[in-house]
Amino acid sequence: MVPYFEFQNAVKLLCGELALERIAIELELMGASKPLMLSDAVLTKIGTLATVIKAMESEGVEPAATFTDIPVDSSLAVVNHIAAFYREQGCDSIVAVGGGSVIDTAKGVRLVLSQNKQDILSLSGLDNLVRGKHVPFIVVPTTAGTGSECTGVAVIRNDSNGVKMEFLSPYVEPDAAVIDPRMTVGLPPKATATTGMDALVHAIEACTCQQANPLSTSYGTAAIRMIAENVVEATRNGSNKQARFAMALASTMAGISFSNSMVGAVHAIGHALGGVCHVPHAVAMTILLPHVMRYNLSHCAQGYAELLPLLVGMEAAMATPAEKRAEAAIEAVVALGRKLHDICGIPLTLSDAGVVRDTFAHVAEVAVNDGALIVNPRAADESQVIEILNAAY
Amino acid sequence: MRFLQSFVVAIVLRFVHAALIELRALDSRVVKEFERMPEGLSYAIRTGHNGPSLYVEWDGRELRRLPSLAHPACALRIKSMPLAFQLFTGQMGLSQAYARHAFTMGGEVADVMRLARLVNLVEAYLFPKIMTRRIMTDVPETEVCFLRAYARILLGFLTCKYKLSK
Ligand SMILES: [Fe+2]
Repeated sequence: MVPYFEFQNAVKLLCGELALERIAIELELMGASKPLMLSDAVLTKIGTLATVIKAMESEGVEPAATFTDIPVDSSLAVVNHIAAFYREQGCDSIVAVGGGSVIDTAKGVRLVLSQNKQDILSLSGLDNLVRGKHVPFIVVPTTAGTGSECTGVAVIRNDSNGVKMEFLSPYVEPDAAVIDPRMTVGLPPKATATTGMDALVHAIEACTCQQANPLSTSYGTAAIRMIAENVVEATRNGSNKQARFAMALASTMAGISFSNSMVGAVHAIGHALGGVCHVPHAVAMTILLPHVMRYNLSHCAQGYAELLPLLVGMEAAMATPAEKRAEAAIEAVVALGRKLHDICGIPLTLSDAGVVRDTFAHVAEVAVNDGALIVNPRAADESQVIEILNAAY
Repeated sequence: MRFLQSFVVAIVLRFVHAALIELRALDSRVVKEFERMPEGLSYAIRTGHNGPSLYVEWDGRELRRLPSLAHPACALRIKSMPLAFQLFTGQMGLSQAYARHAFTMGGEVADVMRLARLVNLVEAYLFPKIMTRRIMTDVPETEVCFLRAYARILLGFLTCKYKLSK
């Protein structure tokens, strides 16, 4: 066990049926009445944002302004632009409706406003900010994967060099997160499968990296079990509200877990693949997970062995000889990926994802500078990252 | 106790700076790190409350130690003197320090990663394997005998290339 750890989750979770209708009272309790709604074009088009606004208006809170031009790969400039828009419109709170990009952008906006800055660039770092002014902030995740609603980090691209910058501070955490099964029932099978695998990566990396601690692991292990039991059903039968709700909760728990532990090489390499080759984050996670686990195996056998009962059930795990359990856990992850691939055709190799080998050297150079690598169970240099990329090709 | 820890940390910080410079002449990985380091990158390492500090700047040719830095690109602050003592006497690695929330940082995480790789290499030369194995998941192999690194660093202090003063 680590000789010292910290644990924080100050996010109030509003989970389950009719949760959206409670946003209005939460804002009121925080003294806010003029929220800025943040979302993206797709969620606006398919009516998800309208569902949230309708639920708020039915309880007496109307948005003061709405901004829906948040791109898939948001940037520091977008954050600064929205912060200025918030001030212009005289808003007093933020409600973000979306996946990872929308939520992380909203976290950035909240940070700029609470720290009373114009430019978020000056705020990057780790635990380096004072609390600042309170800006009421509620998020409504629309995917079950990022866990960003409960993490103390915002990852935002720097426009000038394309590098993803990290803002690690407890003060980026929202005041409340709304986990309403209505928000994910419309998620297409491929997105359900890959974002579910992203959540699985969060939990597995959080439970096995150098920063894992008893509290983060309790959330992580619960998340792994729920994902293993529900991701296939949620992908196959998207209208199954129970499976959807379980995945949304698991994703949130995985978020709490890795926010208080850390992720690892799957994320470091995945971030680099996103930056260099534009592979969507959840797709990169799905492809890389088993290969990074194989790479880590020599340093992490016991940790992986302990995950086996969560992935395949206690009976099957006990029937596996103790010395084979770690490898069996990796095989269980491989089998889960194949099952999801058979249902909806998610890519399982980098070549299927359209990555070309020529980029590997560049990807590796970026990956070793990613903070997620710092507490991976096994160190990795550029040549070792390239080995992993080759294995995943 | 704190005074003693502070004294040791101050010495080790000067030593680390000297080691980074001398290892550029001995280890190809250190050479590569500096080749890729953005010109003008600066680090401030502060320890505890009013503890010793190290300010360095890479000007594209050498890593200069400065008496202070108003706007370092990467500002690390070790949260307490006992933690700084553990970190700079080979009892805790930089990744372990991260895992134990031992420091705050203003700037880009990528610059901490560069520093972490360099510090791991310095420690691989300066500390015996029995210590480094406990503070790193994988200890880098040294490319030359560690005695050559020590000799160059000590010679640097003896010839006043490096100073123990501010
Ligand atoms: Fe992720």
